[in-house]
Amino acid sequence: MLYVQLAANGVVYGLVIGLAALAITLVFGIARFPNAAAGDTMTLGAYVALGAHQASGSLLLGGLAAIGGAAGASLLAWALVFRPLAKRSVVALLVASIGVAFVLRAGMGLVWGHQQQVFQVPLAFPILVGELRVNPMDLWLGGVALAALAVAFGVLHLTSIGRAMRAVADDPDLARISGVRPGRVMAAMWLLAGGLSAVAGIMLAVKTVVSPEIGWEVLLPAFTAAILGGIGSPLGAVVAGLLLGVAQEVSTPLVGFTYKIALSFVVMLAVLLLRPRGLFGRVEAVR
Amino acid sequence: MEAYLLAIGIICAIYVLLSLGLTVQYGLTGLINFGHVGFFAIGAYASALLSLQGVPLVLCFAAAAVLAAVAAWPVGLVALRLRDDYFAIVTLGFSETVRLTLASEAWLTNGVQGIPGIPRIMAGGGMVPQLVVFGLLVAACVAAALAYRRIARSPFGRVIEAIRDNEEAVTALGKDPARFKIQVLALGAGLAGIAGAFYAHYVTYLVPDQFIPLVTFQVWMAVIMGGVGRVSGAVAGAVLLMLFLEGSRFVRDIAPGLISEVDMASLRIGVVGLALILFTLFRPQGLMGDYTRR
Repeated sequence: MLYVQLAANGVVYGLVIGLAALAITLVFGIARFPNAAAGDTMTLGAYVALGAHQASGSLLLGGLAAIGGAAGASLLAWALVFRPLAKRSVVALLVASIGVAFVLRAGMGLVWGHQQQVFQVPLAFPILVGELRVNPMDLWLGGVALAALAVAFGVLHLTSIGRAMRAVADDPDLARISGVRPGRVMAAMWLLAGGLSAVAGIMLAVKTVVSPEIGWEVLLPAFTAAILGGIGSPLGAVVAGLLLGVAQEVSTPLVGFTYKIALSFVVMLAVLLLRPRGLFGRVEAVR
Repeated sequence: MEAYLLAIGIICAIYVLLSLGLTVQYGLTGLINFGHVGFFAIGAYASALLSLQGVPLVLCFAAAAVLAAVAAWPVGLVALRLRDDYFAIVTLGFSETVRLTLASEAWLTNGVQGIPGIPRIMAGGGMVPQLVVFGLLVAACVAAALAYRRIARSPFGRVIEAIRDNEEAVTALGKDPARFKIQVLALGAGLAGIAGAFYAHYVTYLVPDQFIPLVTFQVWMAVIMGGVGRVSGAVAGAVLLMLFLEGSRFVRDIAPGLISEVDMASLRIGVVGLALILFTLFRPQGLMGDYTRR
């Protein structure tokens, strides 16, 4: 029973990882580098949501402000940093993304301080489902995550810009000669990735606390989920994120609280060695 | 004042050692090691723990280098079969796992409380012990720099530079790039391990929080600022980094109340980030860079 309860708790965390992994896999698949700034974009979402929530008292307004803020920051990072570097080696992009992450974190530290803050959300009694205790807030968060995923997959599969994104991810040159404009695709992709990161950040913040490091600490699990799901596979990222979130919670009584992150490192190594294209990935040379 | 300058010199020399390690790995061979601080931590903890057991310091330093290099071996075996960007993520994960292990395994490392009272290289007050530490560090840096020059000009060095420039061509010539890369990774890790030992016996107090990824990226900043793949670049970059880190402390000391310590910590992270971005964008060859290459 303990394990079922833990697995249920892991679902929300898994959705956080899945959303972050989706943002990472979109960038990885289309802009072709692992974006280390994804974690701090999440943190930015969390802080903007917190600020807007305190100012307006509305969680909905807070969430929308956060999505707008993080998507804007993501677009700005692309326009100022990643676009000029597009023709350079992956090292340049990777190092620059670390730089973007640090600049974001520094700004947030200066504006909001380093004290841990919490979302003042109303406490509610857990709902009993059989013997399972479910926190109503978790249901809300799960709903928000599913809505965000629905929007993301809707954009990817039902709109023309989404089709263009998938075309660029498949084969950038072929997409270009087919008349896909890379600038528009990139801008839309970075907005989407930023918005998804914001939702992940808000969920994490409501579930735990807000501090400048929360996003960075999810970065490694999110990379792992993106790799496990298969780089460039949106569905894979979400499924792998859920698996990883549940696995982390279930493993806690066995390996202890602090080794949660180490678990994702081990999973990452195992996937890269045994099945580098992940669960849903295309066959692509990563070795 | 002299004591202060000497203290800066010591920390600076430790960063030079770290930068030289990364220069061998990234500058010479093109390995994107984002987990440098992990090897630094292994060296620091290994030497500190052994010295507290009464092991002579010479052996502690040797153990620090060997253990860090040995830790690099499995990381290399696993990661070097992967593409560059995956290697970066895996090494970053490695260093975070090292830090978590140091924080969790309290029976060995005393966990987050840390290890106090690590013996100094030379006991006693005054300037002499400090000078001895600084002298030893400079000697280590010079030895590392000379070794780097020798390696770069040896057949081994030519192979690893060729790997950086065109791995397929090297494979086609019948060399095994992975083997060379693992050796280079272990070499750089060993240097980081020695730097860690110097650090442990200089600050005499270790906690896992000293080994956050920021340290790795400060070394990256030094290497990128100085100029990738050059000894002069590694030294110049480390000196610049130190000027900035200590300068920010100096500003706070002469004008207390102007800016709080936490804000200064944020500013430091911001400047490191900005330096990484701006140098990558506008001056990828660094200050001492070689303009004859790409």
